[in-house]
Amino acid sequence: MIGTQVLAARNAVTQQVRALSNFIEDQDPTALAVVSVMTGALLVAFAGFLSVSSLAIVPFSIFVVAAGYGWLNHQGLTARMLTFAMTVGTILILLLITVFIFVESIPVFVYESTTVFGISVPGLRMFTQAEWDAVSPPIRYSMVPMIHGTVMVTLIATAVAAPLGISAALFLSEIAPATLREAVKPGVEILAGIPSIVYGFIGFTILSPWAADQFRTTGQGSYLFVGIVVGLMALPTVVSVAEDALSSVPESMKSGSLAMGTTDWQTMASITIPAAFSGVSAAVLLGVGRAIGETMAATVMLRGVPQLTKPLYNAFYGQSTLTSLIANNYGEADGLQMDALFAAGVILFITVLAISVGSQYIEWRMRRKLGGEN
Amino acid sequence: MSKTTSTTETDRTDTERVGTTTGETDEHVRDEWRDYSFDAPTKIGVEDLDVYYGDDHALDGVSMDIPEQSVTALIGPSGCGKSTFLRCLNRMNDRVSSARIDGSVTLDGQEVYQEGVNLVELRKRVGMVFQSPNPFPKSIRENISYGPEKHGDIDTGLLARVLGRSDEAAREDLVEQCLRDAALWDEVADRLDDNALGLSGGQQQRLCIARCLSVHPEVILMDEPASALDPIATAKIEDLIAELSQEYTVVIVTHNMQQAARISEQTAVFLTGGELVEYGDTDQIFEDPESDRVEDYITGKFG
Amino acid sequence: MAGAAETRLVSGDTSRSNAVAAAAVALAAVLFVTSLAALFEVITISDPFAGVPVVTVLGGTLSLLGVAVITFGVGSYVGAVETEPSRSAGLVAAVVFGVVWFAVGGAVTSRVLGIGGVAWAFVALLTGAVASAVTAVPREDIGSTLPAGAVTLLAGMTFLTGSVGPAWVWELEFEQQASLTAEFAIPVVTLFCALLAGWAAAKAYGGFGARGRKMGAYLLIYLNAGSIVSVLFILIAFTAFRGIPGLLNGTEFGLGTGPTVFGFALPVSIPFVMHGVSLFNDFQGVLPAIAGTIWLVVGAVLFAVPLGVGAAIFLTEYAERGRFTQVVEVATNGLWSTPSIVFGLFGFAFLIPRFGGGKSLLSGMLTLGFMLLPLVLITSREAMLAVPDEYRDASAALGVSKWQTIRSVVVPAALPGVVTGVILGVGRIAGETAPILLTMTGGTFVPGERTVDVIGGFEFVSTPPFVANPELLRATTALPFQLYALITAGVGLGDNVSSPTEFQWATALVLLLVVLSFYAIGIGARYYFRRKLDYE
Ligand SMILES: Nc1ncnc2c1ncn2[C@@H]1O[C@H](COP(=O)(O)OP(=O)(O)OP(=O)(O)O)[C@@H](O)[C@H]1O
Ligand SMILES: [Mg+2]
Repeated sequence: MIGTQVLAARNAVTQQVRALSNFIEDQDPTALAVVSVMTGALLVAFAGFLSVSSLAIVPFSIFVVAAGYGWLNHQGLTARMLTFAMTVGTILILLLITVFIFVESIPVFVYESTTVFGISVPGLRMFTQAEWDAVSPPIRYSMVPMIHGTVMVTLIATAVAAPLGISAALFLSEIAPATLREAVKPGVEILAGIPSIVYGFIGFTILSPWAADQFRTTGQGSYLFVGIVVGLMALPTVVSVAEDALSSVPESMKSGSLAMGTTDWQTMASITIPAAFSGVSAAVLLGVGRAIGETMAATVMLRGVPQLTKPLYNAFYGQSTLTSLIANNYGEADGLQMDALFAAGVILFITVLAISVGSQYIEWRMRRKLGGEN
Repeated sequence: MSKTTSTTETDRTDTERVGTTTGETDEHVRDEWRDYSFDAPTKIGVEDLDVYYGDDHALDGVSMDIPEQSVTALIGPSGCGKSTFLRCLNRMNDRVSSARIDGSVTLDGQEVYQEGVNLVELRKRVGMVFQSPNPFPKSIRENISYGPEKHGDIDTGLLARVLGRSDEAAREDLVEQCLRDAALWDEVADRLDDNALGLSGGQQQRLCIARCLSVHPEVILMDEPASALDPIATAKIEDLIAELSQEYTVVIVTHNMQQAARISEQTAVFLTGGELVEYGDTDQIFEDPESDRVEDYITGKFG
Repeated sequence: MAGAAETRLVSGDTSRSNAVAAAAVALAAVLFVTSLAALFEVITISDPFAGVPVVTVLGGTLSLLGVAVITFGVGSYVGAVETEPSRSAGLVAAVVFGVVWFAVGGAVTSRVLGIGGVAWAFVALLTGAVASAVTAVPREDIGSTLPAGAVTLLAGMTFLTGSVGPAWVWELEFEQQASLTAEFAIPVVTLFCALLAGWAAAKAYGGFGARGRKMGAYLLIYLNAGSIVSVLFILIAFTAFRGIPGLLNGTEFGLGTGPTVFGFALPVSIPFVMHGVSLFNDFQGVLPAIAGTIWLVVGAVLFAVPLGVGAAIFLTEYAERGRFTQVVEVATNGLWSTPSIVFGLFGFAFLIPRFGGGKSLLSGMLTLGFMLLPLVLITSREAMLAVPDEYRDASAALGVSKWQTIRSVVVPAALPGVVTGVILGVGRIAGETAPILLTMTGGTFVPGERTVDVIGGFEFVSTPPFVANPELLRATTALPFQLYALITAGVGLGDNVSSPTEFQWATALVLLLVVLSFYAIGIGARYYFRRKLDYE
């Protein structure tokens, strides 16, 4: 059983190799030489850049010269090689991001180890106690208050963005007359374009003082209003992705329902939304991802103190989120505290990546489902 | 009861003069055909119906009256506006934003294209089977019970079940009846909970027919309902149509002349340009058409 | 079953009962708008309106609305009004009203009767359950009007009788203290009741049944769409309103008033966008930040566009569609949704040590380039995939090589999509603050002489890397960062500029204008290309 699998795998590999060698044989030898020089130079340059060497410029210049020569004389192969290098570069960037923020955060994970059943689990203490104190011993870097803050903001933001976003998407794709849709859709996109710092500024100067006054809190900054502002910011994402999903439901299905003598609303509720369900939930997930990663509004509107609110569901106070922790503390942080900021980055990165992959999976399933019907 | 309203007749004799071949641009050149008269009351009356898609003139001044409880076949080459015509009868063309419709369609003497028409009511009474099968991405059972449930005729929702007033039994009866009528029951009886998208094209088409029957419309518009069916299923559908015409008014588009000849009482021939060239008794049309163009089309010389 | 067949084709009955329902819907809409106005203190609830306090007027209107809704429901039930109700208002309505009445029951027991603990929960649950049952069990006309009307009436009576007046406060007894005040609670409750009663009235207007349900849903959807559009409008209008005075401070028109650009004196002088901050200036400005933003965008585009388009070409044209392309797709989408602050962290850890160890313009450019890259890749790929295969086949059939085909057929055809995507992406990164916070940063008030001049900054040096540009390696500022710095600077802002608030709002407005003009260009380009394609 396993033997055949190995055999099959080996066959596949030999096939690939043969295809590659065929491809290489087909090429002009000088072109191959140029491309080899380019590849080698680029690899060396990259290695040099990684090792913080200013000499990296030398192989890079060689690469540029080789590429220029190749472009003039063997454009097809050079172009192919260049585009391939660009693809690899894109993937490398993702890898580098992952590696660098992980590596930078290792010390704090080690520092915050806890022993469970005799086994030392790195980083566990960051999640089991709620103390953040970077100044007076015992120095503790707990992520719990920030995770709490991010969860609060995200929950409130989703409660704002999901229902409003989905019904706005319904309005755009199913209800609005064509002229109105043409006018409103760019409007929604523009809403997506307003920089988050502008939202933060308006929230900070207008909403926060107002909220503090209304709810008679001590000081300004509440998860409730950060959540609302962040929800407004995530709204355009939800609207446009959900709108795409809704309008990709085939017209024939909608007509089929309407021709049975159902109302538009019944058709939407019973045919369009269920058929687009995965797309709509992907839209909400993407909105959640945006809300989790939103930085500036949270940074300027929250208090920036890494503490839990009391009681936990007290949304009228807002302390700190994972993102605002980084933005607030990068300036004075160094050593272990800076590593702790990277740890916050790692948590954000993993969460958002998981959400992104999840929503893509859902969308992929939807496309398969709707595509399979005709 | 002879012909329909007298106004229609005068209109027709006005505009359709014998052998008009003059260069008048605003007068359409028409072949002459006898006024078609029937004994049954008119179910659907169409008068001077013009449809444009943008600048594209898809239907050109069509006037015809469709008698109650009968089968009317629409034939004609591809793209001549048969589907467009059907979609005008239940106002599904309203969904096409580029479509512009002039003229009048009446259902039991009531104008369909007037202010304040309840489209839901109209479409309940004028059901439609589309040219390409379009089952809902739901189970077979839910596909059939969809219409009656939305119209509040049967209720098997969670709430109804909790309150103990679920119409489970009525639904099962309805599903079976409709599927039997559409000659699909034997094939799907043991998998009613399967997704309808998993059925074959022909099965999907019969499912759509069954779905249409489930709301008991008065008029059934069928756009090539047998295009994806094998001869046996086609025969069953044809039997069904014959049976339906006892009670319902059926308007059916078909590319199959034999089928039109077999099942319909009257036939309308559309030709390219969206023009209704001839309309009359099916036997008459197929045996002795008035128009040369229709004869050419029927005998296959057309085009 | 019977009812359905009897209804006429034309529903032309605009009877008096219908008019009443329509009036109730209108009343609800007015209440909705009024409550929003009260919430944002455009209206003060204790102020008199025609001699009566606003809160009393609200209470009276709510009561009226509640009574109207209930009357309509009962009228329909006894047959006084012609409707086609369904058998039940449905599960969703039952759940919603259950929750609403749970809250009402809980609030009343704890606030009025002062009961807590188990008894509180019991009463709340009981009211919730009763409301659910009243919604679900009777016919739709009762089920959807009675609970909505009753809650509206209750709220109205509470305001009318002064049980909840302008001085009302609910101490929430949290450890970090917070209270619900009348200024907040009254508008919010009004808003909520207006929505519920409006929905019920809209259903009644549609005669219940399928049509009524559609009316109810549409009312909510229309209100929502309208609110979103007005929020957008208000946000932009408000920023413009507050920012324009600062922006136009000291503006002069006339020949020779403006600064000299390419040897030509501009006929207009807007100091805010043409100067930095200096002791000698009459009017201070944000020119360095504008220049910084422009250079950032240019750098990011120069980095990300070739890389992204190249990778898109490889993925669509050369790579076989399979595991590899799928992984890249997932990775790019993941990169696109990665929080901007994480890019900042990455730039901080990766780029800064490699570009002289300090924050620099170049690091900022590259960080934003990393952010832009996935979007360029995604949109370019989409645009290239949309090029029909026939084009490629036709070109290949002529014996043209693959690369020539890509260059002369695929890329031109995909260009509109790529351009639009890039412009929209640029709009997004131009407004980003978080990534440059950690990689670039400048000061709160930047003097005019610190305006970056990348072109003039290049020089040759004898040590590798032989080319140096101190301008690129210097920390500079950008509009979004400057706004952030202005917000966080707090006190002491007034030492530098005469009116710090005006300066802040003007900065926000300039940032908004810059970003929105990118968006306007992007969206305009998309329409232009689409129209052109339509006509071809
Ligand atoms: N939604 C639409 N938008 C624009 N033009 C349309 C639309 N639907 C149909 N048309 C045009 O109207 C004309 C008539 O189309 P229709 O579908 O009614 O033809 P048909 O007789 O049903 O053809 P077939 O036998 O192939 O189904 C055609 O020229 C078609 O291109
Ligand atoms: Mg057709």
